Amino acid sequence: MSAKRSSINRPPTPDVDRDRENQEPTLQEIINIKMIESGEKERLKELLRERLIECGWRDEMKSLCRKKGRNNVTVDDLVHVITPKGRASVPDPVKAELLQRIRSFLASTAT
Amino acid sequence: MYTNPKPCKHLADYKLRHGLSGYNLLQEQIRTTPSGKSSVKNHQTEIPRCCFCNGYQKRLYLCLICSSISCSSHTLLHSQCENGHDIAVDIERSELYCVLCCDQVYDPDFDKIVMLKHLMDLPRSGNGVDVSAGRRSSKRRRLCSALELDLKKTKQLVSMRDLRAKSCYPLGLRGLNNLGSTCFMNSVLQALLHAPPFRNYFLTGQRNHEVCRKRSSDRLCLLCDIYVFFSAVFSGDRTPYSPAQLLYSWWQHSANLASYEQQDAHEFFISVLDGIHENGVKARNTGECHCVAHRVFSGQLRSDVTCMSCGYTSTTYDPFMDISLNLDTGNCPSTDLANKSLKPSDNTYVSTLLGCLDLFTKPEKLGSDQKFFCENCQERQDSVKQMSIKRLPLVLCLHIKRFEHFPVRRMSRKIDRYMQFPFCLDMNPYLSSSVVRNRFGNRMFAFEGDELDTSTEFEIFAVVTHSGTLDSGHYVTYLHLKDQWYKCDDAWITAVEEEVVRASQCYMLFYAQKMLYYKANEDLVCQPVSPRADPFLPIAGCC
Repeated sequence: MSAKRSSINRPPTPDVDRDRENQEPTLQEIINIKMIESGEKERLKELLRERLIECGWRDEMKSLCRKKGRNNVTVDDLVHVITPKGRASVPDPVKAELLQRIRSFLASTAT
Repeated sequence: MYTNPKPCKHLADYKLRHGLSGYNLLQEQIRTTPSGKSSVKNHQTEIPRCCFCNGYQKRLYLCLICSSISCSSHTLLHSQCENGHDIAVDIERSELYCVLCCDQVYDPDFDKIVMLKHLMDLPRSGNGVDVSAGRRSSKRRRLCSALELDLKKTKQLVSMRDLRAKSCYPLGLRGLNNLGSTCFMNSVLQALLHAPPFRNYFLTGQRNHEVCRKRSSDRLCLLCDIYVFFSAVFSGDRTPYSPAQLLYSWWQHSANLASYEQQDAHEFFISVLDGIHENGVKARNTGECHCVAHRVFSGQLRSDVTCMSCGYTSTTYDPFMDISLNLDTGNCPSTDLANKSLKPSDNTYVSTLLGCLDLFTKPEKLGSDQKFFCENCQERQDSVKQMSIKRLPLVLCLHIKRFEHFPVRRMSRKIDRYMQFPFCLDMNPYLSSSVVRNRFGNRMFAFEGDELDTSTEFEIFAVVTHSGTLDSGHYVTYLHLKDQWYKCDDAWITAVEEEVVRASQCYMLFYAQKMLYYKANEDLVCQPVSPRADPFLPIAGCC
């Protein structure tokens, strides 16, 4: 009977769906949704891809991946190792350009 | 060549239990993004979120069995909750992922389904992929077998002996006198002398100059003169030879270049091949030309121009006798803000042949003044162009563009930048099949043009180098014969170490298909054979 009592006392399992509706979407989420809907996110991703290739960032990441070797390496391993290095080595001009683009997008869709 | 990797245990189990049903259901949800990638997008406009943490910023995976979405941190959790839900699809990339192996996995059946959907979605052109084509070129095979016969004949001839030969240098090594700034000609001739199928053609008497109509009417025939030249060089006589007749014959053909001024070796090369082509067998209107110049040096380039608005790709094919490459300098095209580049100092970047080839096959955005008329959009649009090699020649001549001309400023200059080059070259990454395949991500899909029967491995046999300035420079050729390098500086031939060659400033690189190179080198072996008293055959040579 002690098991039943503790089950009565146990707080209800948080329901994920209900939580989602209760919380207001954050500003970041709103911006993200707007960018995806308008297709701007896809365009920005393409732009970023192009800039990172041009400045050699992608080739540098490729050689970092190759250093790990070809055997006993999983995608998850690589992502785990490369992600912090990748984020840290994005050149400032590229960041600046993308931020500028996002700013103008926001300015143009301000309601 | 692509061999399918073995599926992991979990993928194999999944396939046994579910077959292709999961893939087929997924196919409807695959959309092609404007950039040409395949992503999984369900019909709802909601952004996909992880069912555990609601996150949307990490890699997201769609379970193939129950379609629930998990982020990379929670895929394992999903697999623990639901038994057997081990295989998922990366939503953004449409690539298979095994949750338990934590790794990407490959299944040709899956890729086929993705590709089919992708091609159905693309406007008309399939982004340059021709799905219907399954024909293999049998022409290439026929040409190769024809040249095989040549090699056997050469071997028979080479076993003759000429008593004039004294040294044990390989056959066909003979200095060429400079007739007045003709090192540009001598350097290219040395390379041609040792291009395997080209050499065999002239040495096995396929060029029957006895019955040449031009000669019999006392006119000049470039082909006959080349034949005579080959005979002289391979005769075994080691005294330097003066190719005066050949020079004169060439002047007749290229009147605009006839002078005692220094010419460009590459221009000479193209002009000689052109002369051979014109003098030779009449080309048929359709199909390939069978003159020796084309049989040996011609390949085919593929050019894809893709509209940036709709993805429609227009593909054209053009023949080539050589490929001119720009030096890769490691400089990124500058954005206005870029004062800081990724590499610490551009001065330490070494140009390499592979870098130049990468540059050659890199997608290039065409300028706004070069807008391409898109068939699909029916208007001029910004486009991207990408080159690749559809068909490799037997002998590949790579020309490094070291002479820059500025017509506006009316000046020219030479680029002295050192370029590193390999002795063995695998051209596979630059083939159309590889380049086109890469457009679609990591796929195990057989593309048309996957030539399984042609080799992509090449061996270097000649390097034409240039030293000095544009106006007063000197050409020297290094030949690679039987594992030894020889420096051919006009009349002077010396054996050199390979380091010397590697450090040289290359201008034209000559690579032969590996099999042809090794066979040709066998033919050059000096073997003591009893002399044959047959005066009819003009070439006699062995040491």
